[in-house]
Amino acid sequence: MVALPGENTPAEPSSYDDDGKPGFFARWFYSTNHKDIGTLYLIFGIISGLIGGFLSFMMRMELADPGIQFFTNEHQYLVYVSMHGLIMIFFMVMPALIGGFGNWFVPIMVGAPDMAFPRMNNLSFWLLPTALICLLISFVVPGNANGNGFGGSWVMYPPLSTTGHPGPAFDFIIIGLLAEGFSSIFGAINFITTILNMRAPGMTLHKMPLFAWSVLVTAFLLLLALPVLAAALFMLFTDRIAGGTGFFDPARGGDPQMFQHLFWFFGHPEVYIMILPAFGIVSHIVSTFSKKPIFGYLGMAYAMVAIGVVGFVVWAHHMYTVGMDVDLKAYFLAATLVIAVPTGVKIFSWLATMWGGSIRFTIPMQWALAFIFLFVVGGVTGVMLANAGVDAYLHDTYYVVAHFHYVLSMGAVFGIFAGFYYWFGKMFGVMYNKWLAAAHFWLFFIGVNVIFFPQHFLGLNGMPRRYVDYPEEFAIWNAVSSYGAWITLAGVAFFFLMLIEALILNRKRVGDNYWGEGATTLEWTLSSPPPYHQFNTLPRIEDNAEH
Amino acid sequence: MPSNKKTMIILSGVGIAMLGLGFASDPLYDTFCRVTGYGGTPKIADANLTEIIDRVVTVEFDSNVAQDLPWKFRPDQRRMDVKLGQSGLAYYTVENTGDEAVVGVANFNVMPIKAAPFFIKTDCFCFEETVIQPGEKLNLPVIFFIDPQMDEDARLEEIKSVTLSYTFFPTEAGTMPPQMTATATN
Repeated sequence: MVALPGENTPAEPSSYDDDGKPGFFARWFYSTNHKDIGTLYLIFGIISGLIGGFLSFMMRMELADPGIQFFTNEHQYLVYVSMHGLIMIFFMVMPALIGGFGNWFVPIMVGAPDMAFPRMNNLSFWLLPTALICLLISFVVPGNANGNGFGGSWVMYPPLSTTGHPGPAFDFIIIGLLAEGFSSIFGAINFITTILNMRAPGMTLHKMPLFAWSVLVTAFLLLLALPVLAAALFMLFTDRIAGGTGFFDPARGGDPQMFQHLFWFFGHPEVYIMILPAFGIVSHIVSTFSKKPIFGYLGMAYAMVAIGVVGFVVWAHHMYTVGMDVDLKAYFLAATLVIAVPTGVKIFSWLATMWGGSIRFTIPMQWALAFIFLFVVGGVTGVMLANAGVDAYLHDTYYVVAHFHYVLSMGAVFGIFAGFYYWFGKMFGVMYNKWLAAAHFWLFFIGVNVIFFPQHFLGLNGMPRRYVDYPEEFAIWNAVSSYGAWITLAGVAFFFLMLIEALILNRKRVGDNYWGEGATTLEWTLSSPPPYHQFNTLPRIEDNAEH
Repeated sequence: MPSNKKTMIILSGVGIAMLGLGFASDPLYDTFCRVTGYGGTPKIADANLTEIIDRVVTVEFDSNVAQDLPWKFRPDQRRMDVKLGQSGLAYYTVENTGDEAVVGVANFNVMPIKAAPFFIKTDCFCFEETVIQPGEKLNLPVIFFIDPQMDEDARLEEIKSVTLSYTFFPTEAGTMPPQMTATATN
């Protein structure tokens, strides 16, 4: 409605319900609204997390004692290992962190009404369930002579993924991962365009909140890394066809090692894709609950850029044992250690933000502090593994498993939960029960530590990864590790109790800025939940505004 | 918003370029290995025109056959001492124990990897496809020399022996990878 001169401009509709929301089906299935798509991503992430978590729980039950208990053979166990990795990485962490929180809060934080390409956003989301269905189908179709499914691990090295799995199971995985890859590439293009072109007036890049920075860097990593995975998967696909290509087949002039280079050229940036958004979330939480602006804002932003750039030139530290030249090892060793510098900048800036602050140990702050602690543990073991000589001893042992679960299962996942509890009231308009949330946190924190800390000992003692059985000498720490799985399961149960209590039973409404002073980004200027269409009048960011 | 469209086109271009680079990595990697000897790929030359120097290196011979190829494949000599720059001639014997004629092609590799750039072949059965009739036995020659420049590299001072390894794979006649034959005819 155009206001005529002399008339009073009608006030913006302030009520949340007065906004022309479409009906249920159109709203959730044709959705182009960034907040609805973000919610869909979060629900999808929770469902995938349950599937992936179930697979890992079965693995822990199997490994609780020596011998083969639950699985029919080694292949079936490896299918669980492979699918756990693929589902957790591509269908839990990435959708939750990037698709979920990214969609929800990047447009709001930069002061945009929505994402740049809302319909492409819809496509990005709906490719994901399709992809997950392909992966689930692969469970029940023949893999190789030993049974159904693909047991070649998430790294999918040929020849195990070509001649080693002649059945269609792996073809379904290729199709699923290609769909997921394109979904992420479209999402990345959407985020970059939104952040570069649609910031509110006065919101310069150097005033942009750190979560938006983290998603910007992540989106660039996705855009540069995922097409390489797509190319490698295409090549695997044509290699698998009888009489097809021979990219990775030495009999036809190919080189299986080249797949490893291609895979890790994607795979190493991928681990930063999973952790950078968590860095962004934790920065906001630490700043909010210390009631201080983040320490060294520009250093924090450019540390993420540095991690992203250097992340592209360290990939072969995953391949020290392929028989590479010692000079090459020295290069990849040094380059990998360099990443500890920007990561250290981030850790120390979080500590410095808390220093002298008025700290409140709320639920999201507990997750964020646990994130910092556990990520440092995982980072330190990473520095150890980066040494090519040490890696020759620890390669493919449980030490590596412990390392990457400390940075992912505890780093990225704790970042997800931190963000979830931080923004829960903002997204859903209601507050959770503190006691249920605290029970979730403590059980989960203790559980994952009991699972993964003993795996360091197992690895140092030489227990290899990816075996269904192990000698008696590893029995004690494996049993402890499996008790941890039960504790974690109890923690997950409290997560769902918390959800039921908050969303269905109690529905305790919260105000616009329920964290009070310290929560300074734009989402706290809106109602909780935000109006269906926000920023009909773009916010204006003053020159002296804090980040 | 035209500027959004422009950004999207640029970003899509970046994505497509990375996809192309992914595919291009195959020939690039192959060329890179052949030019630099990286990853243990020995070099190929027309003739040995180098001087012979006094340093002696033991060349050890190794042979492998792919699982699904019914061939027996053995080096006639386990090891051979050569001076740097001196041409060596070694023979391998291969026998078809199956009841069908099979075409095979051999891949080769030199260990330690850092010596590979100096291990140069002037003639080798691995440049061509090998056809063996059932029960037939063939003697396959390889002529090689080690570049005396190896002596000038301090990193290679410790090298006392070099292993030359072959693996025979089954193939169909005429399907030998073009880059292998192309390099061989140069």
